[in-house]
Amino acid sequence: MPISTKIMERPEAVETSYLRAALKGMKITLKHMLNPKKVTQQYPEVETRLHPRWRGTHRMEVHADGRPKCVACGLCPTVCPANCIRLVGGEDDQGNRYPVVYEIDEFRCIFCGMCQEVCPVEAIHVGQDFENAEYTRERFVYDLDRLMNQDHPTTLLWDPADPLSE
Amino acid sequence: MTTQRTIELPQPNMESGNMLVNIGPQHPATHGVLRLLCELDGETVIKIDPDIGYLHSSFEKLGEYRTWNQIIPLTDRMDYLAPLMYNCVYVMAVEKLMGLEVTERCKIVRVLCMEMERIFSHLLWLGTTAIDVGAFTPFLYAFQERERIYKLHEAFTGARITTSATRVGGMMADLPEGWTDQLKDFVYTFPDTLDEIENLLTRNGIHLGRTQGIGCIPADEAINAGFTGPNLRASGVDYDLRKDRPYYDYESYEFDVPVGTKGDCYDRYLVRMEEMRQSLKILDQALARLPDGRINVDDPRVSLPSKTDCMNDMESMIHHFKIVTEGIRVPPGDCYFAVEGSKGELGMYVVSDGGEKPIRWRVRPPSFVNLSVLPQLAEGHQVSDLIMINASLDIVLGEIDR
Ligand code: SF4
Ligand code: SF4
Repeated sequence: MPISTKIMERPEAVETSYLRAALKGMKITLKHMLNPKKVTQQYPEVETRLHPRWRGTHRMEVHADGRPKCVACGLCPTVCPANCIRLVGGEDDQGNRYPVVYEIDEFRCIFCGMCQEVCPVEAIHVGQDFENAEYTRERFVYDLDRLMNQDHPTTLLWDPADPLSE
Repeated sequence: MTTQRTIELPQPNMESGNMLVNIGPQHPATHGVLRLLCELDGETVIKIDPDIGYLHSSFEKLGEYRTWNQIIPLTDRMDYLAPLMYNCVYVMAVEKLMGLEVTERCKIVRVLCMEMERIFSHLLWLGTTAIDVGAFTPFLYAFQERERIYKLHEAFTGARITTSATRVGGMMADLPEGWTDQLKDFVYTFPDTLDEIENLLTRNGIHLGRTQGIGCIPADEAINAGFTGPNLRASGVDYDLRKDRPYYDYESYEFDVPVGTKGDCYDRYLVRMEEMRQSLKILDQALARLPDGRINVDDPRVSLPSKTDCMNDMESMIHHFKIVTEGIRVPPGDCYFAVEGSKGELGMYVVSDGGEKPIRWRVRPPSFVNLSVLPQLAEGHQVSDLIMINASLDIVLGEIDR
């Protein structure tokens, strides 16, 4: 039987003075004080390194001519668990579909990344960024221009160039 | 027709000259947004009424308006101390209902995730409980180690707590390169920290004095109360779902199930400390077994086609649209699936009518059951012991209130 039961032994309650117990603990903590390894991140001064798979503020990919890659297929508003994407699709004179309105409410968004997972043309992405504080609630609703002008790198979670996660 | 109902909170009997003290809801020692209405006679606890619901987010009801995959982000917000574990259990329940067999690699990856979460959750418990008895140092050491698991979360899923990492039929993505080495490094170096914390606490006179003989619950009462997990095992019952109702080949791993003898706070401490070591053992074995191959099942009912296929091939594109817009269809029926969670038996019950959404989704919450015993355990103890007992039960309010 590979799984066995182990009865935990209880040390006898010894009468020690609390001072000795405290000193013993002190010894271990002092050892740590001399340890040169630093663990505290000096965050605002030293920038944190995010992992390439970080799911953060969105970014919309653009074509070379500056149009958004989105084809207004409507998959991301459907899949979004937080219902925070507003999309109004339209068609230009060549019959190409494009988003007339595309807004993401970053305040409601839970950064699950499902929008990127389902987008068939790899237009909407979650990105490696988390510093998106604002002073008013309205500013959190990112419109298409703002999404296209984000310049942080996008997440590599569903990167087609990375065969492991495909 | 709606009827109005007033909910009356129990009022302690004040005529005896006892005092009513309100601990929480915003109190660090209640480990969440929990309000304890205590009737005190001096320092002695006469009666306690835990008042819950401050974190109520109606996850279960919300789930009835979400498709099967959209529920996954809800599950990790329930127990933010072991998010991946909740992600896994939920999809395992849905897969059981669908009769879906996941790939071997996926199984092992989920075992890795679940054991990692056990350590993750126990570490938080260890740190905060130590603080409650006045030992601040273990908290810092425990959180340094937790930070490493946060990093592993981040590397794997892209988020530190809100992982949402599973999908019905697999995971959201495969493990990134180098992840297993990082985990191996953790498995080999973590025991050092554990030894150090044990040095600080296990034989420390102050800690012994604060925990031994406090909040005892004998085995039969613990079973009657519905205790599961480390709390039950501390009372001497060797009930562990990994052993007694194995899933994901747990029966083939070699590990010990630690049990206590007395069922007091100290036993609960000992059992959890040993469980972390045993989890490391399982992690080590699982890492050695991790096979190559696909992580997601190749089943047209659940798996999205790859993006490359999607862009080049009309069939795949239509398939992709169908799965995303219609959601996964789960055959009618109901099913219950439980695993040994970090806090006890963690079960998910899902009912489907064949549609793209569950008609009922219910969680069997270990913390909720554990908390229900608090009044019985703390009666007659001092206020400071009440804090210790509450901490030793290891509750998480997100899951209690749901
Ligand atoms: S990340 Fe998730 S919640 Fe946010 S917009 Fe995308 S799908 Fe919606
Ligand atoms: S899924 Fe992609 S293409 Fe479709 S609407 Fe969303 S961003 Fe546009």
